[in-house]
This record gives sequence, C-alpha cells and structure tokens, in this order.
Amino acid sequence: MVRKRFHGLKKPKVRQSWNKFNLYNLARQENLKTHALTFFQQKWAAKSMTRAYHGEQIRERQWTRMFKRYIPAVVEMDAAELAKNDGTEQAAGRGTGKVERPDGRRRFKPKPTPYMNMTYYPTERRLDTAIFRALFASSTRQARQFVVHGYVKVNGKKMPYPGYLLNPGDMFSVDPERVMFATGAPKGQAVADRDDLEDVEETENGAEEPVEEEEVGEAEETDASSEVKARKDKLKALIGAIDESLLDKKDLSGRRLQELRTLRKEAKKAMSRSKHLTDESLSELESQHAAIVEKISQSEGSAEVPEAEDAKPSIDTSVVAPRYKSAAPPTHLDLLNRLPNPRDPTKPYATPWRPRPYMSAFAFIPRYLEVNQNVCSAVYLRHPVARPGLAEVPTPFASEVNTLAFQWYLRRR
Amino acid sequence: MPPKLPPPSLLSPLPSLPLPRQCICQTRSFSHTRRQETQAREQLFSWLHGPGKVFEKPLPNSTNYLSAYSKTGQLLRATQARAKQADAEPEKPESDDLTPEEAEIKKRDAWLKKAAEDVDAEMGKGRVPKESMEDLRPFPLNWEFVSQPVLSEELRDAIYRRVAEEGGSVRAASVEFGVSMERVGAVVRLKAMERQWVQQHKPLAAPYSRAVLSMLPTTPYDPGHPVHHESINDLPVHPATTQQIFHPTAESRPFTRRDAARVFRQGLRPADQRIPHPELVEIEKAAQSGRLNRPQRDDLMRTVMERESLVQKLKEADEAAREQRRVKVISRPRHDFKVENVSVEAVGKTGRKRAGVGWRYGMPLEDRKRGQVRIPTRVD
Repeated sequence: MVRKRFHGLKKPKVRQSWNKFNLYNLARQENLKTHALTFFQQKWAAKSMTRAYHGEQIRERQWTRMFKRYIPAVVEMDAAELAKNDGTEQAAGRGTGKVERPDGRRRFKPKPTPYMNMTYYPTERRLDTAIFRALFASSTRQARQFVVHGYVKVNGKKMPYPGYLLNPGDMFSVDPERVMFATGAPKGQAVADRDDLEDVEETENGAEEPVEEEEVGEAEETDASSEVKARKDKLKALIGAIDESLLDKKDLSGRRLQELRTLRKEAKKAMSRSKHLTDESLSELESQHAAIVEKISQSEGSAEVPEAEDAKPSIDTSVVAPRYKSAAPPTHLDLLNRLPNPRDPTKPYATPWRPRPYMSAFAFIPRYLEVNQNVCSAVYLRHPVARPGLAEVPTPFASEVNTLAFQWYLRRR
Repeated sequence: MPPKLPPPSLLSPLPSLPLPRQCICQTRSFSHTRRQETQAREQLFSWLHGPGKVFEKPLPNSTNYLSAYSKTGQLLRATQARAKQADAEPEKPESDDLTPEEAEIKKRDAWLKKAAEDVDAEMGKGRVPKESMEDLRPFPLNWEFVSQPVLSEELRDAIYRRVAEEGGSVRAASVEFGVSMERVGAVVRLKAMERQWVQQHKPLAAPYSRAVLSMLPTTPYDPGHPVHHESINDLPVHPATTQQIFHPTAESRPFTRRDAARVFRQGLRPADQRIPHPELVEIEKAAQSGRLNRPQRDDLMRTVMERESLVQKLKEADEAAREQRRVKVISRPRHDFKVENVSVEAVGKTGRKRAGVGWRYGMPLEDRKRGQVRIPTRVD
C-alpha cells in the first residue's frame, strides 16, 4: 500500500512519479546541508532521501541484498587513435605520458567518471522500474500494478512478478491500452487549450448529465415528457451522425469541417435545453445536416477523387496500394503517420489522445533501453553504465548525496 | 482527561433549539464551506499556476525539462535569444526632448520588447531555439545525468530496412548508422514486431508514439550526412584494471597496451581486442599506412565487414554442429526425443546446483517452501 503522504509537502521526498506534487517537490529540491550534521547523520539523511526515490517499493532488507559495490563503467575508444598509437605514448615520460604532446597541445584530460551516481543501478534492472523508465507508466507504483494485473509480457510470456530482474536482451511489452491510459490525459476534464486539438471536445460529463438528473426527478410519465424524450433521442442520433461524418471524412475541406462543427455545437446547445426543444428547430437542424452531407457528396463526385478511407484504417499495404493510382504505394512510415487519433468515448482516457499534464518535464529514456512506442515494447539492452562525465542511472540527487548513500550501504558505519 | 460533557441544554431533547453553525461545519464532512488550505498547499498551487504552468503542456517539438527554465518560469534559451537579438539591433538616433539616459533606457526597452515579440512569434509557430546541454537535464541538482537523444522514427525504419530487407549485417549497420550493435538488433526486433502488428490489424499506440517522440531529443536520419547516435566502441572497464600497480620496467623497451593488460591480469586481452569493433582499428591502420582515398577505404571497409560476417556465420554453424553432436534427436510422429549425456558431478557438493539433472534421492525439493524466491531468473 502506498503510504498516506506519498507526495508530502512538509517533508518533501522526490518520487518516481509524474505527479504535479512531485514536480513541485523536484523544482524546490535542495542539496543536503551537511554543515551541522555528524558523518553518520549525513549518511542517514542521504540514504533516506535517495531510497525514497530509488525502489521505495522494495523492502530495505531486499535492497541491501541487491546492493553491489562493484559499479560497471565504460570508456569510449577512438579507433583512429588506437590505430595511430600502440600505448607507448601513455607510458612515456615518468610513466603516465608526457604532459605536452609532440604537436604542442596539452594532454587531453578526460572528465571524471561519476561512479557514485550509479549507487542504485541494480534497481534499474527490475521490471517495474524499467517500465517506468520506458515511459509506459506514470509511476513505478503504476508500473508494478500493470505487472501484477497481467498486462506485461517478457519475451512474449506473461510475467506477473514486478521484481523480475531483466537480463540484457530481454524484451518487455505492456498492453498499449494500459499505456495510453497511464500516459494520457484523464477523462472528464475540460481541455485547457482547445486550439491545438483537431475536433473540439466537450467535457465528457458536462453536456448530458444535468438533463439526466432532471429525468430522474420527474415522477410521472406524461405525454409531454415522452415527446421531449423522443425529440431528445432524435437529437442524440443527429449528434452521432455529425460525429460520424466528422470522423469518417478525413479529407474534408475546411469550410465543411467548420460547418459541421458549428452544427454540432448548436445541436449540443439544443440538447442542454431539450425541454424547450420544438419539432421545427429539430427538423431545421436535421435539414442543415442533410444539406452539408449533400454538399460533401457533390464535391466528392466533381473532383473524382477515390473514396476516402473508412473510419477503421485499412493498413494492410495490399489493400491500400490500389487506391493510390498515380503516386507510389505508401511506405510503412506514411502508414504510421496516417494512423488516426479518433474521438472514442468508450476509452478510459480523454480522446483524442493527448499526453497527461506535466508529462513532458519527466519524459526521458535512458540509453540502456531501446523503446518502440508504437507497439509499447522495449528491449533492455545492457545494464546501465557510468562513462566519463555521465552516469546512466537517472537520479535526481547530486553526486555528494549519492556518495553518502553508497557509503551507508558499504556497512562500515 | 475525559472529554468535556456538553452543556445540559444540548443534551435535552429539544428539537427547536438550533445547533451553533460553527459546530455543524466541523462535524459534517459534506459541508460546502471551503476547506482551510495550509500554507504549503497554497504555495504549491501558486507555483503550479505561476512558474510551473509551463510544464503542464509539452513545448512543441522540444524537450521541456526543469533546468531549461528560470525560477520564475522563463525559458532561459528564449531569454538569451531575445537578448542576442536585442544586441544585434542597430543604433537609432535619439529624440531631443529626453535626457540621454532616459532615451537609452527607452530605446533598450523598445528593442527588448520587439526582440521578445519576435522570439514569441517564433515560439508560437512551434519553433523554439535548440536546446543546449544544460537544458537537457531533467534533474536540476544532478549535473551528471542528461536526457540523451533517442532514435527518430525515420532512423529506426532505415536501420530495419538495411538489416532485414537488404540483408546487411548488424555489424556493418552499427558502423554505418553510429548505433551500437545491441541497439541495432533491438530496433530490428521491435520493428519486425510493429510490422507484424500492422499486418494483423492490431491497433498501434500511434498518437502516444508521436507525442513522446516530439517530447524527447531525437537523432534525425539524413541519408547524405549520417549522424553519430552513440559511441559504438565502448571499452568496458575491467575490474582488474581499476587498481594502481607499481610495475618497474626497462626504459629501453616499449611498454604497450598489450604489456599493460598482461600486468593487470594474466590473460587479459588488450583494449584493441576488447572493444566491440576491433575491425575498425584494422581499417584505420591500413588507411593511415597506405594513404587510401575515400573509395578505396570504403572498399576495404566492405571487405573487412564481409569477412567479419563470414566469420560470424562460420562460428554459428560450428556451434550448431557441436550442439547436434551433443544432443541425439530421435524423431517420432508425436514427439522428438532428445538424448544427451549428463554428468553426476554436475549437482555439485551440496547436490543442489542448477546444472544438476533429475530428482536426487534423499534430497527434498524446496521450491514450494515458504520464503523461497519463485521469481524466474530468465525467460527464453
């Protein structure tokens, strides 16, 4: 169970999560103040800070068993340099190479390798952490839940253990629906900025709910209310039809789109005042829709373009290819770019899909993973390594804090 | 101390007596009165609506990390761009009715405003200045972690086509695209999966993919000018080489990498051979000694790569043959029986080694005991 103050504000801890509280805590994070602390206290504080981020779901005993004092590192070698020299130049001088090279320039001094930032590299091998790092879940806790609930496969086989330690070359896949849910904006919230979305989305509950409440309130079924209900059903069907024509026809002209959207807005407005809805206004809306549909079909006939794609994208190249008469058959990339982002109220996330708020501040993929977002799968290439000037373990703490934490787990305190 | 008894007036069953309003608010959780916010929460929300507002939505086609912004929520590289643009503006003649200082200030303000507007207009069109290394740090306090670029969709597709469709070797593709061999293999594997999904009409997470790739730094694909994605010749630091050794040696004799490896540990190979692409060193040596021109060098590269892939194929064939010799397969209509030799000693001293075969008499299995870790260590 997640503790009560997981994203506390009083004693802030940075967590592996995309929560906005966590972003705030990260933004005001401060380095450990060591001046008034004994060495033991420094180590304790550093351990406490870092463990709240790295594998807080792992019990302390378990983690101390996972901890390794050996830290993997690599150094980049230049093939041209290796071909030019056989190493004698590094043994020249007093045994560590001459300070000045023959060409007069000073010896290249590599950046130090931040070994200590790799203290928690064994936790990055865990399946739940790797899923979070691959941006398939919004927190390690959520990733863990996906694993436990059976949405995750390793090398094509279901893996229900979040503590499974990935081996180099292992491929893990998460159900795309779960990924879209975890990383997508939540349903039922108003869109902050409507301009950047293709079709304007009403709030999921806003338009319909008050009407339904009124419905419940009415005790007796009178003729008037049944008439209202019939009109409302018609209106609902009309809105559905408008939606379909908006979804179906991808290559509509801007004016038609605009007309359809205005009509949809009007219909929605009428829906919210369905008690005062008359047959005349309903028939007028319907006739407007019919007129637009007529115009669309006319323009299609005159231009003689091949029929637009169906709502369900037919992606198979053998099916799509004959439709493009003059141009070359679409490449795989074209198909990917053309995959739609439709409005679908049955989904558990806001549609058309858009990233959840505050995701971009946390979005990075470390180099030890290779991710394919289209199929929501990733390969764990190798264990994370340190290299000059760079440590691959994503940690929000400075080198000094990580060093103190490393010293805590050396068990010589 | 026991809780205070309420006054008798409240205890008496008098329905007409209204309860004090304050009391209702405290006990009824469904009250409509606004909850008193703590100072910490107030600060949080003022941050989220102030400087933190910029993180709510991604910057178009750019990363959007904490380090890219000032404490007040200004995009640092945009501010710098504005300042640069303001500096580049030519001087204008001053008007007479202002003191020189005022005119200077006014001019400066006007330029800054104009430059800021220009930058904002650019940003409105989705063009943000390119990130520097400082802007790519998601964690402001950790200077040793940066968000490194990932492969763009085009580059992944190019790698897949080179290896899976044109039959290029992983090694050659790794050198060509500047991508490590493990990554090339992974890209091909994942792309193959993706194409299979497309053929099976399985829904892809395309909107998610497009959004994520626009939030991350990516390595673009340009067929004419290949971009180096990552270092392909990484030498793993061997534990034996992390110690300092005092090794006296004759000055008259050259001390090479080979000697150094031997000093560190007997049998340790020199760095030239432990890197993933030793053939590149060979090519470079030939190029440096023979003064090859570009086509000759490409030819040499091709020859060496072909040789390497041939060696790899021979090695694999050899392994398969050895496996065939080790395991005797007896085919039957329903099952294939595989017979192989096993050693009794494989169970080890404790009789519990994983390599051991079969159930050992007198050695109870512990795999269902409490406290035994049942998480598999590998999935094939």
